[in-house]
Amino acid sequence: MTPPERTRITAGPTGVAVWARDLAMGIRFAVTGGREAWLRTALTAVGVGLGVALLMIAASVPHMMSERHQRGAARAVDSPSVFFDKRLAHEQKPGSGTFLYKTANTDYHDKPVNGALLQADGPSAPAPPGVGAMPRPGEMVVSPALDDLLHSDNGKLLRERFEGYRTVGTIAPSGLIGPNELFYYAGSDKLAPGHGTIRVDGYGYEEPDVPLTPELFLLVIIVCVVLLMPIAVFITTAVRFGGDQRDQRLAALRLVGADAHMTRRVAAGEALCGSLFGLSAGAGLFLLLREFATYVTIRDNSVFPSDIVPEPWIAALIALAVPVCAVVVTLFTLRRIAIEPLGVVRNAVTRRRRLWWRLLIPAVGIALLLPLFRKASGYAAHSVPLDTYQIGAGTALLLVGLVALLPWVVEICVSRFRRGPLPWQLAARRLQFDSGPAARAVSGITVAVAGAIAVQMLFAGVQSDYTTSDGHDPGHFQVRASYRPGTAEETSAWTERFRATKGVEAVTGYVERYADKPGDDAAVTSIHIGDCATLQRMAHIDSCRDGDVFVAQEPGGDVDTEHRFAPGTRLTMKEYSAPAGQKKRGYDWMVPASARVVTTRPDPSGDHPFGILATPSAIDVTKIPDATTTFVAQVTKGDLDAIEQFRNTAAHIDPSMRVWRLGGVVKDNNYATIEKGLLIGAVATLALIGAGMAVTTAEQLRERKRLLSVLVAFGTRRSTLGWSVLWQTIVPVVLGMILAVGGGLGLGWAMLHLLRKGVRDWWSFVPVAGTGAAVIMAITVLGLVPMWRLMRGDGLRSE
Amino acid sequence: MTPDGSLISAAGLRKAYGPTTALDGADLSIHAGEVVAVMGPSGSGKSTLLHCLAGIVRPDAGTVHYDGRDLAAMSDAERSALRRRDFGFVFQFGQLVPELTCLENAALPLRLTGHKRKDAEARALRWLERLEVADVRHHRPGQVSGGQGQRVAVARALVGEPRVVFADEPTGALDSLNGERVMQLLTDSARETRAAVVLVTHEARVAAYSDREVVVRDGIARDMAGMYDAA
Repeated sequence: MTPPERTRITAGPTGVAVWARDLAMGIRFAVTGGREAWLRTALTAVGVGLGVALLMIAASVPHMMSERHQRGAARAVDSPSVFFDKRLAHEQKPGSGTFLYKTANTDYHDKPVNGALLQADGPSAPAPPGVGAMPRPGEMVVSPALDDLLHSDNGKLLRERFEGYRTVGTIAPSGLIGPNELFYYAGSDKLAPGHGTIRVDGYGYEEPDVPLTPELFLLVIIVCVVLLMPIAVFITTAVRFGGDQRDQRLAALRLVGADAHMTRRVAAGEALCGSLFGLSAGAGLFLLLREFATYVTIRDNSVFPSDIVPEPWIAALIALAVPVCAVVVTLFTLRRIAIEPLGVVRNAVTRRRRLWWRLLIPAVGIALLLPLFRKASGYAAHSVPLDTYQIGAGTALLLVGLVALLPWVVEICVSRFRRGPLPWQLAARRLQFDSGPAARAVSGITVAVAGAIAVQMLFAGVQSDYTTSDGHDPGHFQVRASYRPGTAEETSAWTERFRATKGVEAVTGYVERYADKPGDDAAVTSIHIGDCATLQRMAHIDSCRDGDVFVAQEPGGDVDTEHRFAPGTRLTMKEYSAPAGQKKRGYDWMVPASARVVTTRPDPSGDHPFGILATPSAIDVTKIPDATTTFVAQVTKGDLDAIEQFRNTAAHIDPSMRVWRLGGVVKDNNYATIEKGLLIGAVATLALIGAGMAVTTAEQLRERKRLLSVLVAFGTRRSTLGWSVLWQTIVPVVLGMILAVGGGLGLGWAMLHLLRKGVRDWWSFVPVAGTGAAVIMAITVLGLVPMWRLMRGDGLRSE
Repeated sequence: MTPDGSLISAAGLRKAYGPTTALDGADLSIHAGEVVAVMGPSGSGKSTLLHCLAGIVRPDAGTVHYDGRDLAAMSDAERSALRRRDFGFVFQFGQLVPELTCLENAALPLRLTGHKRKDAEARALRWLERLEVADVRHHRPGQVSGGQGQRVAVARALVGEPRVVFADEPTGALDSLNGERVMQLLTDSARETRAAVVLVTHEARVAAYSDREVVVRDGIARDMAGMYDAA
C-alpha cells in the first residue's frame, strides 16, 4: 500500500511580497473592520487630512507670491515720485499709443485704496490689465471690492472723494493682486508730465528686486521650520489615533498564528490606509479652503483661489512622505508593546525610555549649527550667504529633539511622584503607567512654543533694524499731506480749504525743502516758506511783512540753528536725483542779513519747524527743485470720519495728493511680509494643534469610557475624575513648557549669535509660553464636557 | 428599613433603552445580610435591574427604596455618596484602574470617602490577604491573572464594609475553579460582615451560593422561592 503523499510545504512569500501582503491585510481590516475600525480610520484621516491641507497651503505660498507679484508688475509703470519733479531717462514723446499716468493712492478708514489717473494721448492708448477700455475723463473703473464699498453705507465718505467720477466698469482679476483689493483707474484731462506724472506707452514694470538681508533670510528659515514642525508632529500623532483598540484586534490575529512582525506590519497597513484617506481628505479640504480664500482678508491681503496652487514637487513629496511616515511611526511605536494572543496586550514589561538617541537628535542639530558660529561675523556683515540647508536642518533637529526628549523627561519626573490627594494620585499613577499619550498630546505645542520663542527673540533682536517710529503719538488725531510746491496764493488757498473742512481744528500749510550749507556736510536745515500768518503760527514772530526771513531756533533743541545758519549763510538745494549722465540741478540762496532770529512754536502735530522761515517774496519757490507743499492738521480727537473728510478735501484739490495719518510705525516691506506670514501661520498652527488635541482627548476618553462608568458606579465624585484629568494634562504641559522655554531660548540665542546680535529681552517667552499653555488647558477643560457625559451608568451597558 | 423589613425594595420598575424594553414592571426586595441571585438569559434585563437597585441608572417608572429612602428623590451627588458609603461593586471585567497597583485599587473606595492613604491601604491589605492575593499587591492589573484580578475587585467591593454588594457576573470571565473560589470568598466575606449581596448571573452553579434566587425574564422579576411554594 502506497502511503498517502504528504502535503508539500511551500515557502511563503518573502521580503517585499510579505510586506505587501500584510500591509494589504491591514488596509482591509481598516475598511472592513466594522464601526470601531471605521471610526479609528476616520480619526486618523481627519487628523492627517488637517495636516496635509496645511502643508498644501504652505506648498502653495511660492506660486501665490509669484502670481501676485506678476500681476502687480504687469499693471505697474516706472512711475516717478508724486512729489518730486524727477526727470526720467526714457521719457516718451506723445503719440497715438501713449498716455499719461499718475499714481493716486489714498486710504479709507486705514485701508489702502490704490489707484492711478490715466490720460490718453491718442486713440491707441492701451487699457490697463483687466480693463476693457481706457477710462475717459470723469470715468473710473474699480475693483469689485471697491465697487461694493462704494455702494455700501460704510463707503459714504469715499463716494464723496470720488464724486467727480462715474464708475463705468470693474477691473477683472487679471488686473488685481487679490480679490478684495481696493483699486481703481480714473480718467483725467488735467495731467501734465512732471510732479509724479509720466508719459508711457504701456504697462509692465518690474521693480528691482530687493534681496533679503541675512537677518530676514534667517527669519524666513526659522519661521518655515517653526510653522511646519508642529504640523509634522501632529501628523505623526494622528496616525497613532485609536492605537489601544487596534492593539486588542491585533491580539486576535496573534491567536490565529500571526507572529509579532506580521502584526506590526498589519498595524502599519491600517495606519497606511488611514493616512491614504487622510491624503485624500487633506486634498479635499485644501480644495475647499482654497475656494473660501476669496472671503478672507488678512491685514489688507487677499488671495485668488486660482493663485493657491502647490508646487508640484512639494505636493509629490507630501503624497509620498505622509504614507511612509504613517508606516514608520506605527512600526516605531509598536516596538514597546508586546501584543500577545488571547486579547492581552501586556505593557507590564515596561522598559525605561532610553536617553541616548533622544539626546543624539538635538546634538546633531547643535553640531550642524556650531560651525556656523565661526562664520557669524560674515553673516553680520552681509557678505557671506547663509547656509540655508544647514541652518534649516540644525534648527529642525533641535526642535525634533525636544519632542523626543519630552516623553523621557515626563517619565523621569513622574516616576518621583509619590503622595498626594486622590486626584493627584490617580493622575500620577496614570502618567507613571504610560506617559506616552500625555507627552504626545503636548509635543506639538512644545515644538510650536519653542520655535515661537526663538522667532520672537529673533524678531525682537532685528526689529530695530527694520522698523522706525514716525515719532508721533498715535493717540493724537493728526494728519499730514504732501503735494507739489505751490505759489503763495495756491498754498494759502489750499490751506483755507483744509481749514474749512469738517472736523479739522487747526492746519498749517507751507512749502518745505531741505537745504545744505556748502562745505559743511553735516549742516542741513529746512526752509519753510509761507505767508506771515502761517509763519507766525510756526514761531514767535512779533512783526512780519512779505519779504521777511527768520532764523527759527527750537527752544532747548539740539541743533544750533541760530549760529550755524546765521544771516549771511549761503545755502544750496540740489535735485535729489537725476538721470544717468545728467547733472543735478540746484538752486543757491543766501539767508539775508536782515533775517531775524526767533524761537519756534509746535505745529499741530507737535513738531517744531526749526530752520529758516521765509515769506514768499524772499525766495522763488518755482526755482527750488523737489520742493513740496506740506499741510499738517489736527482733527477732532476720536472722530475717524474727520480724517476721511480731510482726505476728501485733499482728493478734491488733486486726487494724487497723499495723506498720512500720523502716529505709526514704518516697517521695512520684507520684514512686514515675514511678520504677516508668521501671524497667519501661527494662527493656522495653533488651530491645528487645538483640533489635534481635541481629537486626542476625545479618543482617550472614548477608550476609557467603561472604566469611567465603573468608577462612577462605586461613587467616585466627578470632581475627583475631573481634577485627575486636569493634573494629567498640567504635569506634561508644565514640563513641556519648561523644555520649550529652555530649547526656544537656546535656539533664539544661537540664531541671534549667528547674526552677532544680543538678546534684547530674555523674558519675551512669557506671553508665548502662556498662550501655548492656555491653548492646551482650554482644550482640556473643554474635553471635560464629553467626559461628564461619559461618566454615566449607561456606560456599563456594553457589558 | 422599609415597612416589610427589607433593606432594598423595588416596585414596578420600568426601563427602556430606545425601542428596547429592559425592565417591564419588575419588583424585588432584599433583606440585610441576604445573598440574592438574580438569574435570567442574556438580554432579560437583570443587569439593568442591578443598575436601578444600585442607583446607577434612573428607572423610567417605579420606585427603589433603600433603607426607607426613595432613590429617585435623591440628587446625583447623594446617590454617589450612598454608593461610596453603603454599596460595593464587582463587575465581570474592566473594572480595575489599570495604572494603579492592586493594593491601590482595593483601597480606592476608602480613599474616595476621605481615608488617609496609609490607613486605606492597611485596611485594603487585610482584605487582599483574606482573599489570598496579598502577594500581588504591588502588581498592576495587567500583570495578574483574571482570577487574581477578580479577587482584588471583591476586596475592593468589601473594603468599605458596605451594607450591600452588587455583583454583576463576577465569575463570567473566569474558569470554573477560579469562579468557585471567588464566589466562596465573596459570599463568606459578605456573610461575615452582614452585607447583603445582589448577584447577577446566568449560571446555576454560581447562583447556588445564594440564599434566594430571582429570575428575570422579559423585564419582569419572579421570586423562585414563591414559585416553589406555589408549586
